[in-house]
Amino acid sequence: MEILKREESQYARSLIEASLDPLVTINTEGKVTDMNQATINIFGISREKLTGSDFFKYFTAPQKAREVYQEVFAKGFVAGYPLTIRDQKLTDVLFNGSVYKDETGNVLGAVVVARDITEQKRIEKELIEAKVFAEFATELAEDAKRKAEGATQIAEGAVKAKQQFLSNMSHEIRTPMNAIIGFTKVVLKTELTAKQKEYLTAIKMSGDALIVLINDILDLAKVDAGKMTFEESAFKMASSISAMLHLFETKIQEKNLKLVREYDSNIPEVLVGDPVRLHQIILNLVSNAVKFTSKGKITVGVRLLEENEQTVTIEFAVSDTGIGITTAKMASIFENFQQASSDTSRLYGGTGLGLAIVKQLVESQGGSIHVESKPDVGSKFSFILSFKKTKGKVVAEDEVMDIDIDLKLIKVLVVEDIALNQLLMKTLLDDFGFERDIAANGKIAIEKLQNTSYDVILMDLQMPEMNGFEATEYIRNTLNLDIPIIALTADVTTVDLAKCKAVGMNDYIAKPVDERVLYSKIIGLVKKTVPAPDSEIYVMNEIENTRVKCIDLNYLMRRTKSSPALMMEMISLYLEQTPPLIDAMKSSFKNNDWTLLHATVHKMIPSFSIMGINSDFEKIAKKIQDYAGAQLQHKGISKMVVQLENVCVQACKELEEEFNRIKNTHNEKK
Amino acid sequence: MKKNRIKVFLVDDDKLFLKSLEIEFIEDDKYIIETFETGESCLKSMEHKPDIIILDYQLDGIDKTAMNGIAILDKIKAYDAEIPVIMLSSQDKIEVAVNCMHHKAIDYVVKSETAFMRLQKIIPSIFQYKKIEKELNWYMERM
Repeated sequence: MEILKREESQYARSLIEASLDPLVTINTEGKVTDMNQATINIFGISREKLTGSDFFKYFTAPQKAREVYQEVFAKGFVAGYPLTIRDQKLTDVLFNGSVYKDETGNVLGAVVVARDITEQKRIEKELIEAKVFAEFATELAEDAKRKAEGATQIAEGAVKAKQQFLSNMSHEIRTPMNAIIGFTKVVLKTELTAKQKEYLTAIKMSGDALIVLINDILDLAKVDAGKMTFEESAFKMASSISAMLHLFETKIQEKNLKLVREYDSNIPEVLVGDPVRLHQIILNLVSNAVKFTSKGKITVGVRLLEENEQTVTIEFAVSDTGIGITTAKMASIFENFQQASSDTSRLYGGTGLGLAIVKQLVESQGGSIHVESKPDVGSKFSFILSFKKTKGKVVAEDEVMDIDIDLKLIKVLVVEDIALNQLLMKTLLDDFGFERDIAANGKIAIEKLQNTSYDVILMDLQMPEMNGFEATEYIRNTLNLDIPIIALTADVTTVDLAKCKAVGMNDYIAKPVDERVLYSKIIGLVKKTVPAPDSEIYVMNEIENTRVKCIDLNYLMRRTKSSPALMMEMISLYLEQTPPLIDAMKSSFKNNDWTLLHATVHKMIPSFSIMGINSDFEKIAKKIQDYAGAQLQHKGISKMVVQLENVCVQACKELEEEFNRIKNTHNEKK
Repeated sequence: MKKNRIKVFLVDDDKLFLKSLEIEFIEDDKYIIETFETGESCLKSMEHKPDIIILDYQLDGIDKTAMNGIAILDKIKAYDAEIPVIMLSSQDKIEVAVNCMHHKAIDYVVKSETAFMRLQKIIPSIFQYKKIEKELNWYMERM
């Protein structure tokens, strides 16, 4: 029994000693009577010294410790009483204690358990700090958010303001530029001294340059604002591109360059995409090529890369034999307002916006653009775009029609409120030999339409009383007329164009009005029944470009001051003189009659420049003349004779048509 | 005013070029123009008293029987050595030019786009020169 008791007590003792919390017993006087190892560890004092010592002195606040002791003995227990042990670390503890009694119930002393709460305290402290920090952070974040929102608002406002400013400016600049360029063109047609002509030409060129710049800036602004939208309309790729290349013919001839077209005939005829933007891209690249090339050729290649059920991927390439770009400058040429070197802008002019726009236009359509170049050898810009295939037909034939279709008298109604523009349109249409009528707004136009019939309407969009959209709607829906309507607009945003189409307009012309475009669009719409000669477009990659008109009557018109009688006289002389010359050339060549061949070709030479036939042919003629003069048999002569014959026969044909056209217009005018 | 107008004979078998020259001359009312497609017809009209003659160098190219420009030039000079003659040719050759000068042509112009401009410059200067020459002679006689 005694042994059992001892064993039990030893077991209890070992449990007590094993506890990590300090356990201390104190007697009623507050003296330490026993303790476990943990207590010794924490207090850092030996068992012997602790036993019998005053319990309270081991705490930083003895008074408080005394209160614990008093409470234990008064209440019989104490729980969760915080104290700090006066050891090296000032360990924070929580006290739990209860009294213990003998069999008779007398209080012998108290057992006190001190729980080390250092860790707990630390965590608590960290938690509080974290909380404070978190609160602070939240506050900061909210502040930042408020600031960001403010900034965004300001930025959005700024972008909007910029947009608005650009749009307004462009409109405000374009309207007067329209009048300046238009009237300069008109004055240029009158009789002038050489000096006056020179000055006016300078005005016109500067005006054109300014318009290009404004359009470029507007385009870039649109791309930057993500406002550039792309149309999805069906168009004929081949004819669309070749029509656009027409624009460069004069320039290319002037610089004595060659334009080579390489068109992949595997490309489906009709594709879906944005022909206007495609034009813009190629236009920019080709005009760069022309600008930076003084000798050699410009090649426009269109190649089918890939074709599947729905789409085709096409590579377009514009190569030149111009000044080229150094590798160092290659990366920056696509940036805004950059040219390969500042010297080039001085030499060649330009804003340096063209390639930036090209890049934006290509990339925002999901394409990619590449450049290869060698200084003084040439450059090649190529881009790849995908187009959807379609089985549908092209809705609107917007190819530039050849201008030599017989014209009946065309009656045009111009709806335009600004007097200057009215006068300008009047002058242009009179020049074309069209009959015209002017209405100052949509309302007046509708009144006129009820009494008179016209062939085509040119409709300004912004007008008082009734604007162009309202007027068109009325004409289409109430008057039920399907007369062609061409919108005249200063701001060519895609939104406007969509609106034009939506109300039933057939086409649009951007101001300032380009004479050629105006003419071909009017003719195109009036003569819609005449199919465009598509088959010829595939005859590409030839210097002669036989499908292009070989004659150019500008020179003759200048010479004769556009007098129909004189023009007709000159043309009929050519028609009278040339066929016998062709015959003489052929027969003399066949008979090896070098003298006659020499004389015949000699006589032909001046006629090329008079009728505006490409100077290449004049050169061919001069070559034949030289060979014939030297009585040299040359294997190339035969080919050259055929070339001359062909161009002269074609010229005769075209001049005959031209003659009849002038005659008809002239007579009807009378 | 009328008295000051200059009578110009244009001679060329290339009707087209002839006409284009004529058109340019008649725009300027300083000139009275007569055109001839052959040298022979020009010679027949010498009594119309041209102030100046513009003559094509190669008149016998197609029509082999026609007199060539130099032959016509000689005839004109034989008729009246004082009439200035400007030769026209589509050949820009030194032999041709020298040949013309040897036969007393006053100048030689290549048929090209600038031909008319050249003529426009040359003609007044010829008369200016003639006038100075005349004045000089007048003074010389008096001295």
